Amino acid sequence: MEKIAKEVSSSHISVLCVVHNVGRLAEYLPTHATIHLMANTNFTSPVVLRCIVVTPEATVLDAPCEFVALPLFDGEAGIAPGRAPMIGRLGYGELRVRQGGKVSRYYVDGGFVQVANNMVSVLTNRAMSSESLDAAAAEERLKSVIASHAVGPAEMATREREVAQARGQLRVARR
Amino acid sequence: MANPRILDKRRRSIRNIRKITRTMELIATARFKKAMDRASAATAFTNRMTTLVKDLLASGLEVQHPLLETRSDTRHATMLVLTANRGLCGGFNGNLQRAGFHRWHELTSAIPNCRLEVVGKRGIAALKFRGITPHESYTHFEDKPTFEEVDVIASRYLEEYIAGKLDRLDVVYTKFESIARQHVVIETLLPLGGIGSGTSPGTARGAEASSTPAASGGRTSLYEFLPSPESILEEVVPASFKIKLFKCFLDSAVSEQIARMVAMKAATENAGDLIHRLSMQYNRARQSRITSELMDVIGGVEALS
Repeated sequence: MEKIAKEVSSSHISVLCVVHNVGRLAEYLPTHATIHLMANTNFTSPVVLRCIVVTPEATVLDAPCEFVALPLFDGEAGIAPGRAPMIGRLGYGELRVRQGGKVSRYYVDGGFVQVANNMVSVLTNRAMSSESLDAAAAEERLKSVIASHAVGPAEMATREREVAQARGQLRVARR
Repeated sequence: MANPRILDKRRRSIRNIRKITRTMELIATARFKKAMDRASAATAFTNRMTTLVKDLLASGLEVQHPLLETRSDTRHATMLVLTANRGLCGGFNGNLQRAGFHRWHELTSAIPNCRLEVVGKRGIAALKFRGITPHESYTHFEDKPTFEEVDVIASRYLEEYIAGKLDRLDVVYTKFESIARQHVVIETLLPLGGIGSGTSPGTARGAEASSTPAASGGRTSLYEFLPSPESILEEVVPASFKIKLFKCFLDSAVSEQIARMVAMKAATENAGDLIHRLSMQYNRARQSRITSELMDVIGGVEALS
Protein backbone atom coordinates (compact mmCIF):
# COMPACT_ATOMS: atom_id res chain seq x y z
CA MET A 1 0.00 0.00 0.00
CA GLU A 2 2.85 2.35 0.91
CA LYS A 3 4.54 1.62 -2.41
CA ILE A 4 1.42 2.35 -4.42
CA ALA A 5 0.84 5.54 -2.54
CA LYS A 6 4.40 6.75 -3.27
CA GLU A 7 4.01 6.04 -6.95
CA VAL A 8 0.73 7.87 -7.04
CA SER A 9 2.16 10.92 -5.35
CA SER A 10 5.25 11.06 -7.60
CA SER A 11 3.49 10.71 -10.93
CA HIS A 12 0.31 11.74 -12.65
CA ILE A 13 -0.67 8.24 -13.54
CA SER A 14 -3.85 7.32 -11.82
CA VAL A 15 -3.85 4.01 -10.07
CA LEU A 16 -6.99 2.15 -9.38
CA CYS A 17 -6.73 0.21 -6.22
CA VAL A 18 -9.36 -1.68 -4.37
CA VAL A 19 -9.09 -1.38 -0.68
CA HIS A 20 -11.41 -2.03 2.16
CA ASN A 21 -10.34 0.91 4.24
CA VAL A 22 -10.05 4.31 2.63
CA GLY A 23 -8.94 5.85 5.88
CA ARG A 24 -5.70 3.87 5.79
CA LEU A 25 -4.98 4.84 2.19
CA ALA A 26 -5.37 8.47 3.10
CA GLU A 27 -2.61 8.09 5.72
CA TYR A 28 -0.08 7.21 3.05
CA LEU A 29 -1.06 9.79 0.49
CA PRO A 30 0.20 13.37 0.51
CA THR A 31 -2.40 15.87 1.48
CA HIS A 32 -2.89 17.29 -2.03
CA ALA A 33 -3.82 13.89 -3.46
CA THR A 34 -7.52 13.28 -3.93
CA ILE A 35 -9.22 9.96 -3.70
CA HIS A 36 -11.94 9.22 -6.18
CA LEU A 37 -14.35 6.65 -4.98
CA MET A 38 -16.03 4.56 -7.57
CA ALA A 39 -19.78 4.76 -7.63
CA ASN A 40 -21.75 1.80 -6.27
CA THR A 41 -18.74 0.58 -4.38
CA ASN A 42 -18.59 0.76 -0.69
CA PHE A 43 -14.92 0.71 0.18
CA THR A 44 -15.30 1.74 3.76
CA SER A 45 -17.06 -1.39 5.01
CA PRO A 46 -16.57 -5.04 4.12
CA VAL A 47 -18.91 -6.42 1.47
CA VAL A 48 -22.13 -7.69 2.96
CA LEU A 49 -24.99 -9.76 1.71
CA ARG A 50 -28.53 -8.55 1.48
CA CYS A 51 -31.06 -11.17 2.41
CA ILE A 52 -34.65 -10.80 1.24
CA VAL A 53 -37.32 -13.29 2.19
CA VAL A 54 -40.66 -12.79 0.46
CA THR A 55 -43.90 -14.72 0.66
CA PRO A 56 -47.00 -13.96 -1.40
CA GLU A 57 -48.47 -12.23 1.64
CA ALA A 58 -45.61 -10.19 3.02
CA THR A 59 -41.94 -9.38 2.88
CA VAL A 60 -40.71 -11.25 5.93
CA LEU A 61 -37.12 -10.06 5.95
CA ASP A 62 -35.09 -7.50 4.07
CA ALA A 63 -31.82 -6.83 5.84
CA PRO A 64 -28.06 -6.78 5.36
CA CYS A 65 -26.28 -9.78 6.78
CA GLU A 66 -22.92 -11.54 6.75
CA PHE A 67 -23.94 -15.10 6.16
CA VAL A 68 -27.03 -17.04 5.12
CA ALA A 69 -27.61 -20.77 5.47
CA LEU A 70 -30.28 -22.02 3.07
CA PRO A 71 -32.28 -25.22 3.30
CA LEU A 72 -31.91 -26.49 -0.26
CA PHE A 73 -33.94 -29.45 -1.48
CA ASP A 74 -31.13 -31.91 -0.73
CA GLY A 75 -29.37 -30.32 2.20
CA GLU A 76 -28.02 -27.11 3.56
CA ALA A 77 -26.04 -24.55 1.59
CA GLY A 78 -24.16 -21.63 3.10
CA ILE A 79 -23.96 -18.35 1.25
CA ALA A 80 -21.12 -15.96 2.04
CA PRO A 81 -20.48 -12.59 0.38
CA GLY A 82 -19.16 -12.89 -3.15
CA ARG A 83 -21.03 -16.11 -3.93
CA ALA A 84 -21.32 -16.93 -7.63
CA PRO A 85 -24.83 -16.44 -9.04
CA MET A 86 -27.12 -19.32 -8.26
CA ILE A 87 -30.74 -20.37 -8.58
CA GLY A 88 -31.85 -23.20 -6.38
CA ARG A 89 -34.86 -25.09 -5.21
CA LEU A 90 -35.57 -24.99 -1.50
CA GLY A 91 -36.76 -27.74 0.77
CA TYR A 92 -38.61 -27.55 4.05
CA GLY A 93 -36.19 -26.50 6.71
CA GLU A 94 -34.28 -23.87 8.54
CA LEU A 95 -33.02 -20.60 7.12
CA ARG A 96 -30.32 -18.99 9.25
CA VAL A 97 -29.32 -15.40 8.81
CA ARG A 98 -26.32 -13.96 10.67
CA GLN A 99 -26.46 -10.23 11.24
CA GLY A 100 -23.66 -8.69 13.29
CA GLY A 101 -22.94 -11.93 15.12
CA LYS A 102 -26.62 -12.47 15.93
CA VAL A 103 -28.26 -15.44 14.25
CA SER A 104 -31.96 -15.33 13.46
CA ARG A 105 -33.67 -18.51 12.37
CA TYR A 106 -36.70 -19.03 10.16
CA TYR A 107 -38.69 -21.99 8.97
CA VAL A 108 -39.02 -21.92 5.18
CA ASP A 109 -41.70 -23.92 3.42
CA GLY A 110 -40.14 -24.80 0.08
CA GLY A 111 -39.79 -22.37 -2.79
CA PHE A 112 -36.81 -20.96 -4.63
CA VAL A 113 -33.70 -18.95 -3.99
CA GLN A 114 -31.81 -16.66 -6.30
CA VAL A 115 -28.33 -15.45 -5.41
CA ALA A 116 -26.81 -12.68 -7.51
CA ASN A 117 -24.75 -9.56 -6.80
CA ASN A 118 -24.53 -10.33 -3.11
CA MET A 119 -28.29 -10.42 -2.90
CA VAL A 120 -30.06 -13.52 -1.64
CA SER A 121 -33.75 -13.54 -2.59
CA VAL A 122 -35.75 -16.31 -1.04
CA LEU A 123 -39.20 -16.90 -2.54
CA THR A 124 -41.31 -19.15 -0.40
CA ASN A 125 -44.95 -19.87 0.36
CA ARG A 126 -44.48 -19.53 4.07
CA ALA A 127 -41.72 -18.22 6.30
CA MET A 128 -41.97 -18.16 10.05
CA SER A 129 -39.46 -17.15 12.68
CA SER A 130 -38.39 -20.02 14.89
CA GLU A 131 -40.03 -18.46 17.98
CA SER A 132 -43.47 -18.51 16.39
CA LEU A 133 -43.31 -22.23 15.66
CA ASP A 134 -45.19 -24.65 17.84
CA ALA A 135 -43.15 -27.82 18.39
CA ALA A 136 -46.00 -29.75 20.00
CA ALA A 137 -48.38 -29.04 17.13
CA ALA A 138 -45.75 -30.03 14.58
CA GLU A 139 -45.08 -33.28 16.40
CA GLU A 140 -48.77 -34.08 16.54
CA ARG A 141 -49.12 -33.40 12.84
CA LEU A 142 -46.14 -35.59 12.07
CA LYS A 143 -47.67 -38.44 14.07
CA SER A 144 -51.05 -38.11 12.38
CA VAL A 145 -49.51 -37.93 8.91
CA ILE A 146 -47.33 -40.98 9.55
CA ALA A 147 -50.35 -42.90 10.84
CA SER A 148 -52.40 -42.03 7.74
CA HIS A 149 -52.54 -44.26 4.69
CA ALA A 150 -51.95 -42.98 1.21
CA VAL A 151 -53.17 -44.69 -1.94
CA GLY A 152 -51.91 -43.78 -5.38
CA PRO A 153 -48.93 -41.69 -6.46
CA ALA A 154 -50.59 -38.30 -5.90
CA GLU A 155 -51.61 -39.08 -2.34
CA MET A 156 -48.23 -40.60 -1.59
CA ALA A 157 -46.48 -37.47 -2.84
CA THR A 158 -48.73 -35.31 -0.65
CA ARG A 159 -48.06 -37.54 2.34
CA GLU A 160 -44.33 -37.41 1.74
CA ARG A 161 -44.43 -33.64 1.47
CA GLU A 162 -46.42 -33.31 4.66
CA VAL A 163 -43.99 -35.55 6.51
CA ALA A 164 -41.06 -33.46 5.26
CA GLN A 165 -42.83 -30.25 6.27
CA ALA A 166 -43.65 -31.50 9.75
CA ARG A 167 -40.11 -32.82 10.26
CA GLY A 168 -38.64 -29.54 9.06
CA GLN A 169 -40.82 -27.56 11.42
CA LEU A 170 -39.98 -29.85 14.28
CA ARG A 171 -36.26 -29.52 13.63
CA VAL A 172 -36.42 -25.73 13.59
CA ALA A 173 -38.67 -25.53 16.64
CA ARG A 174 -36.59 -27.85 18.79
CA ARG A 175 -33.25 -26.16 18.39
CA MET B 1 -100.01 21.27 2.54
CA ALA B 2 -97.07 19.22 3.65
CA ASN B 3 -96.97 18.29 7.29
CA PRO B 4 -93.84 19.79 8.86
CA ARG B 5 -93.69 17.03 11.44
CA ILE B 6 -93.58 14.27 8.82
CA LEU B 7 -90.93 16.18 6.89
CA ASP B 8 -88.83 16.54 10.02
CA LYS B 9 -89.14 12.84 10.73
CA ARG B 10 -87.94 11.97 7.24
CA ARG B 11 -85.08 14.41 7.57
CA ARG B 12 -84.00 12.82 10.83
CA SER B 13 -84.06 9.32 9.38
CA ILE B 14 -81.98 10.45 6.40
CA ARG B 15 -79.48 12.00 8.79
CA ASN B 16 -79.14 8.63 10.49
CA ILE B 17 -78.61 6.95 7.14
CA ARG B 18 -75.97 9.51 6.27
CA LYS B 19 -74.15 8.74 9.50
CA ILE B 20 -74.17 5.05 8.64
CA THR B 21 -72.99 5.51 5.08
CA ARG B 22 -70.21 7.83 6.15
CA THR B 23 -69.02 5.30 8.71
CA MET B 24 -69.13 2.57 6.07
CA GLU B 25 -67.10 4.76 3.77
CA LEU B 26 -64.46 5.24 6.46
CA ILE B 27 -64.37 1.52 7.21
CA ALA B 28 -64.02 0.73 3.51
CA THR B 29 -61.17 3.25 3.26
CA ALA B 30 -59.31 1.62 6.14
CA ARG B 31 -59.87 -1.88 4.74
CA PHE B 32 -58.83 -0.74 1.28
CA LYS B 33 -55.51 0.48 2.64
CA LYS B 34 -54.86 -2.85 4.33
CA ALA B 35 -55.85 -4.82 1.25
CA MET B 36 -53.66 -2.57 -0.85
CA ASP B 37 -50.64 -3.29 1.37
CA ARG B 38 -51.19 -7.00 0.95
CA ALA B 39 -51.55 -6.62 -2.79
CA SER B 40 -48.27 -4.71 -3.02
CA ALA B 41 -46.53 -7.42 -0.98
CA ALA B 42 -47.78 -9.95 -3.50
CA THR B 43 -46.50 -7.73 -6.30
CA ALA B 44 -43.02 -7.80 -4.70
CA PHE B 45 -43.17 -11.59 -4.75
CA THR B 46 -44.35 -11.70 -8.38
CA ASN B 47 -41.61 -9.30 -9.47
CA ARG B 48 -38.93 -11.49 -7.92
CA MET B 49 -40.53 -14.54 -9.46
CA THR B 50 -40.47 -12.84 -12.86
CA THR B 51 -36.75 -12.04 -12.59
CA LEU B 52 -36.07 -15.61 -11.52
CA VAL B 53 -38.01 -16.96 -14.49
CA LYS B 54 -36.24 -14.57 -16.84
CA ASP B 55 -32.83 -15.74 -15.62
CA LEU B 56 -33.99 -19.32 -15.81
CA LEU B 57 -35.10 -18.94 -19.41
CA ALA B 58 -31.80 -17.24 -20.29
CA SER B 59 -30.10 -20.56 -19.63
CA GLY B 60 -31.47 -21.80 -22.95
CA LEU B 61 -34.07 -24.02 -21.44
CA GLU B 62 -36.72 -25.68 -23.58
CA VAL B 63 -39.92 -24.43 -22.03
CA GLN B 64 -42.11 -27.46 -21.83
CA HIS B 65 -44.57 -28.22 -19.14
CA PRO B 66 -47.99 -29.87 -19.19
CA LEU B 67 -49.53 -26.77 -17.64
CA LEU B 68 -48.33 -24.56 -20.46
CA GLU B 69 -49.69 -26.63 -23.34
CA THR B 70 -53.09 -25.97 -24.79
CA ARG B 71 -55.06 -29.17 -25.19
CA SER B 72 -56.53 -29.91 -28.57
CA ASP B 73 -59.98 -30.82 -27.31
CA THR B 74 -61.38 -29.16 -24.24
CA ARG B 75 -63.85 -31.49 -22.56
CA HIS B 76 -63.83 -30.28 -18.99
CA ALA B 77 -63.96 -26.64 -18.04
CA THR B 78 -64.31 -24.87 -14.74
CA MET B 79 -65.37 -21.30 -14.22
CA LEU B 80 -64.57 -19.57 -10.96
CA VAL B 81 -66.39 -16.33 -10.17
CA LEU B 82 -65.02 -14.12 -7.43
CA THR B 83 -67.78 -12.01 -5.90
CA ALA B 84 -68.09 -10.26 -2.56
CA ASN B 85 -69.70 -11.60 0.60
CA ARG B 86 -71.46 -8.31 1.21
CA GLY B 87 -73.49 -5.89 -0.82
CA LEU B 88 -73.66 -2.10 -0.74
CA CYS B 89 -70.72 -1.76 -3.06
CA GLY B 90 -72.31 -0.26 -6.15
CA GLY B 91 -72.11 -2.23 -9.35
CA PHE B 92 -69.31 -4.50 -8.14
CA ASN B 93 -71.31 -7.71 -7.79
CA GLY B 94 -73.73 -6.93 -10.60
CA ASN B 95 -70.98 -6.46 -13.15
CA LEU B 96 -69.36 -9.73 -12.14
CA GLN B 97 -72.64 -11.60 -12.37
CA ARG B 98 -73.41 -10.19 -15.79
CA ALA B 99 -69.99 -11.05 -17.21
CA GLY B 100 -70.04 -14.44 -15.47
CA PHE B 101 -73.44 -15.51 -16.82
CA HIS B 102 -72.52 -14.44 -20.30
CA ARG B 103 -69.35 -16.57 -20.25
CA TRP B 104 -71.14 -19.44 -18.53
CA HIS B 105 -73.67 -19.70 -21.36
CA GLU B 106 -70.85 -19.64 -23.91
CA LEU B 107 -68.95 -22.35 -22.04
CA THR B 108 -71.90 -24.66 -21.51
CA SER B 109 -72.86 -24.47 -25.16
CA ALA B 110 -69.31 -25.26 -26.35
CA ILE B 111 -67.92 -27.67 -23.77
CA PRO B 112 -69.71 -30.82 -22.55
CA ASN B 113 -68.59 -30.90 -18.92
CA CYS B 114 -68.62 -27.56 -17.16
CA ARG B 115 -68.28 -26.81 -13.50
CA LEU B 116 -69.27 -23.54 -11.92
CA GLU B 117 -67.57 -22.42 -8.72
CA VAL B 118 -68.48 -19.28 -6.89
CA VAL B 119 -66.78 -17.31 -4.16
CA GLY B 120 -68.89 -14.92 -2.13
CA LYS B 121 -72.44 -14.90 -0.77
CA ARG B 122 -73.61 -12.35 -3.30
CA GLY B 123 -72.71 -14.55 -6.23
CA ILE B 124 -74.35 -17.56 -4.63
CA ALA B 125 -77.55 -15.57 -4.02
CA ALA B 126 -77.60 -14.34 -7.63
CA LEU B 127 -77.23 -17.91 -8.91
CA LYS B 128 -80.01 -19.11 -6.65
CA PHE B 129 -82.23 -16.38 -8.02
CA ARG B 130 -81.60 -17.62 -11.55
CA GLY B 131 -82.09 -21.22 -10.58
CA ILE B 132 -78.51 -22.41 -11.09
CA THR B 133 -76.79 -24.51 -8.45
CA PRO B 134 -73.03 -24.00 -8.37
CA HIS B 135 -70.92 -27.15 -8.08
CA GLU B 136 -68.81 -25.56 -5.39
CA SER B 137 -69.21 -22.40 -3.36
CA TYR B 138 -66.94 -20.65 -0.90
CA THR B 139 -67.88 -18.00 1.61
CA HIS B 140 -64.82 -18.03 3.86
CA PHE B 141 -62.86 -15.49 1.82
CA GLU B 142 -63.30 -12.17 3.56
CA ASP B 143 -61.42 -9.02 2.68
CA LYS B 144 -58.13 -10.69 3.60
CA PRO B 145 -57.70 -13.86 1.56
CA THR B 146 -54.67 -15.80 2.82
CA PHE B 147 -52.33 -17.67 0.55
CA GLU B 148 -52.97 -20.89 2.45
CA GLU B 149 -56.69 -20.74 1.72
CA VAL B 150 -56.11 -20.03 -1.96
CA ASP B 151 -53.41 -22.70 -2.08
CA VAL B 152 -55.97 -25.38 -1.23
CA ILE B 153 -58.14 -24.44 -4.21
CA ALA B 154 -55.16 -23.94 -6.52
CA SER B 155 -53.68 -27.35 -5.63
CA ARG B 156 -57.01 -29.00 -6.36
CA TYR B 157 -57.15 -27.39 -9.80
CA LEU B 158 -53.59 -28.46 -10.53
CA GLU B 159 -54.32 -32.03 -9.51
CA GLU B 160 -57.45 -32.12 -11.64
CA TYR B 161 -55.63 -30.62 -14.59
CA ILE B 162 -52.79 -33.10 -14.44
CA ALA B 163 -55.21 -35.99 -13.97
CA GLY B 164 -57.08 -34.87 -17.10
CA LYS B 165 -60.27 -34.00 -15.24
CA LEU B 166 -59.89 -30.35 -16.13
CA ASP B 167 -58.81 -28.82 -19.42
CA ARG B 168 -59.54 -25.19 -18.90
CA LEU B 169 -60.00 -22.84 -15.97
CA ASP B 170 -61.58 -19.43 -16.35
CA VAL B 171 -61.60 -16.92 -13.54
CA VAL B 172 -64.06 -14.04 -13.52
CA TYR B 173 -62.92 -11.27 -11.19
CA THR B 174 -62.50 -7.53 -10.89
CA LYS B 175 -59.01 -6.53 -11.87
CA PHE B 176 -57.42 -3.67 -10.02
CA GLU B 177 -55.55 -1.30 -12.32
CA SER B 178 -55.46 1.86 -10.29
CA ILE B 179 -57.54 3.49 -7.59
CA ALA B 180 -59.69 5.06 -10.28
CA ARG B 181 -59.91 2.04 -12.57
CA GLN B 182 -61.08 -1.48 -11.86
CA HIS B 183 -62.92 -3.59 -14.36
CA VAL B 184 -64.27 -7.08 -14.70
CA VAL B 185 -62.01 -9.45 -16.59
CA ILE B 186 -62.27 -13.10 -17.53
CA GLU B 187 -58.88 -14.73 -17.48
CA THR B 188 -58.02 -18.22 -18.58
CA LEU B 189 -55.51 -19.38 -15.98
CA LEU B 190 -55.22 -22.97 -17.14
CA PRO B 191 -53.56 -23.74 -19.46
CA LEU B 192 -51.08 -21.06 -18.45
CA GLY B 193 -50.19 -18.84 -21.38
CA GLY B 194 -46.63 -18.25 -20.18
CA ILE B 195 -44.74 -18.52 -16.97
CA GLY B 196 -43.68 -14.92 -16.59
CA SER B 197 -46.14 -14.43 -13.75
CA GLY B 198 -47.47 -10.92 -13.50
CA THR B 199 -47.09 -10.37 -17.23
CA SER B 200 -49.83 -11.15 -19.69
CA PRO B 201 -49.51 -14.40 -21.65
CA GLY B 202 -48.72 -12.54 -24.86
CA THR B 203 -45.72 -10.67 -23.50
CA ALA B 204 -44.45 -13.72 -21.66
CA ARG B 205 -44.47 -15.68 -24.88
CA GLY B 206 -42.59 -12.84 -26.54
CA ALA B 207 -39.94 -13.01 -23.82
CA GLU B 208 -39.57 -16.73 -24.31
CA ALA B 209 -39.25 -16.36 -28.05
CA SER B 210 -36.62 -13.67 -27.72
CA SER B 211 -34.61 -15.71 -25.24
CA THR B 212 -34.47 -18.78 -27.45
CA PRO B 213 -32.16 -17.45 -30.19
CA ALA B 214 -29.77 -16.08 -27.57
CA ALA B 215 -29.68 -19.49 -25.98
CA SER B 216 -29.06 -21.35 -29.20
CA GLY B 217 -25.77 -19.49 -29.51
CA GLY B 218 -24.51 -21.27 -26.42
CA ARG B 219 -25.37 -21.24 -22.76
CA THR B 220 -24.61 -17.74 -21.66
CA SER B 221 -26.18 -17.89 -18.25
CA LEU B 222 -23.94 -17.11 -15.31
CA TYR B 223 -26.15 -18.99 -12.95
CA GLU B 224 -25.47 -22.22 -11.25
CA PHE B 225 -28.65 -24.26 -11.02
CA LEU B 226 -29.36 -26.53 -8.12
CA PRO B 227 -30.41 -29.17 -9.03
CA SER B 228 -31.05 -28.37 -12.73
CA PRO B 229 -32.96 -25.75 -14.72
CA GLU B 230 -35.51 -28.36 -15.81
CA SER B 231 -36.34 -29.44 -12.29
CA ILE B 232 -36.60 -25.84 -11.13
CA LEU B 233 -38.92 -25.05 -14.02
CA GLU B 234 -41.08 -27.98 -13.04
CA GLU B 235 -41.59 -26.33 -9.66
CA VAL B 236 -41.81 -22.77 -10.92
CA VAL B 237 -44.76 -23.36 -13.24
CA PRO B 238 -47.23 -24.56 -10.58
CA ALA B 239 -45.96 -21.89 -8.20
CA SER B 240 -46.58 -19.19 -10.75
CA PHE B 241 -50.11 -20.52 -11.33
CA LYS B 242 -50.78 -20.38 -7.60
CA ILE B 243 -49.52 -16.85 -7.27
CA LYS B 244 -51.60 -15.81 -10.27
CA LEU B 245 -54.74 -17.20 -8.69
CA PHE B 246 -53.83 -15.57 -5.39
CA LYS B 247 -53.36 -12.26 -7.20
CA CYS B 248 -56.90 -12.59 -8.58
CA PHE B 249 -58.26 -12.96 -5.04
CA LEU B 250 -56.24 -9.98 -3.80
CA ASP B 251 -57.29 -7.81 -6.73
CA SER B 252 -60.89 -8.73 -6.12
CA ALA B 253 -60.61 -7.82 -2.43
CA VAL B 254 -59.02 -4.45 -3.19
CA SER B 255 -61.56 -3.65 -5.89
CA GLU B 256 -64.45 -4.53 -3.61
CA GLN B 257 -63.28 -2.08 -0.97
CA ILE B 258 -62.79 0.65 -3.56
CA ALA B 259 -66.25 0.00 -5.02
CA ARG B 260 -67.77 0.19 -1.56
CA MET B 261 -65.83 3.37 -0.80
CA VAL B 262 -67.10 5.05 -3.96
CA ALA B 263 -70.67 3.81 -3.47
CA MET B 264 -70.81 4.97 0.13
CA LYS B 265 -69.29 8.32 -0.72
CA ALA B 266 -72.00 8.83 -3.33
CA ALA B 267 -74.66 7.72 -0.85
CA THR B 268 -73.39 10.17 1.77
CA GLU B 269 -73.44 13.01 -0.72
CA ASN B 270 -76.88 12.02 -1.90
CA ALA B 271 -78.17 11.99 1.67
CA GLY B 272 -76.72 15.48 2.15
CA ASP B 273 -78.61 16.74 -0.90
CA LEU B 274 -81.81 15.13 0.29
CA ILE B 275 -81.46 16.68 3.74
CA HIS B 276 -80.94 20.07 2.13
CA ARG B 277 -84.05 19.71 0.01
CA LEU B 278 -86.15 18.39 2.86
CA SER B 279 -84.98 21.21 5.12
CA MET B 280 -86.16 23.71 2.56
CA GLN B 281 -89.54 22.02 2.26
CA TYR B 282 -89.82 21.79 6.01
CA ASN B 283 -89.04 25.48 6.51
CA ARG B 284 -91.51 26.45 3.84
CA ALA B 285 -94.24 24.27 5.34
CA ARG B 286 -93.56 25.64 8.80
CA GLN B 287 -93.62 29.22 7.56
CA SER B 288 -96.84 28.72 5.62
CA ARG B 289 -98.47 27.17 8.65
CA ILE B 290 -97.43 30.16 10.78
CA THR B 291 -98.68 32.53 8.12
CA SER B 292 -102.03 30.81 7.87
CA GLU B 293 -102.40 30.80 11.64
CA LEU B 294 -101.63 34.52 11.69
CA MET B 295 -104.18 35.09 8.97
CA ASP B 296 -106.72 33.22 11.06
CA VAL B 297 -105.93 35.38 14.11
CA ILE B 298 -106.09 38.60 12.08
CA GLY B 299 -109.33 37.44 10.46
CA GLY B 300 -110.78 36.69 13.88
CA VAL B 301 -109.76 40.09 15.24
CA GLU B 302 -111.25 41.85 12.26
CA ALA B 303 -114.50 39.93 12.62
CA LEU B 304 -114.76 40.91 16.30
CA SER B 305 -114.07 44.61 15.85
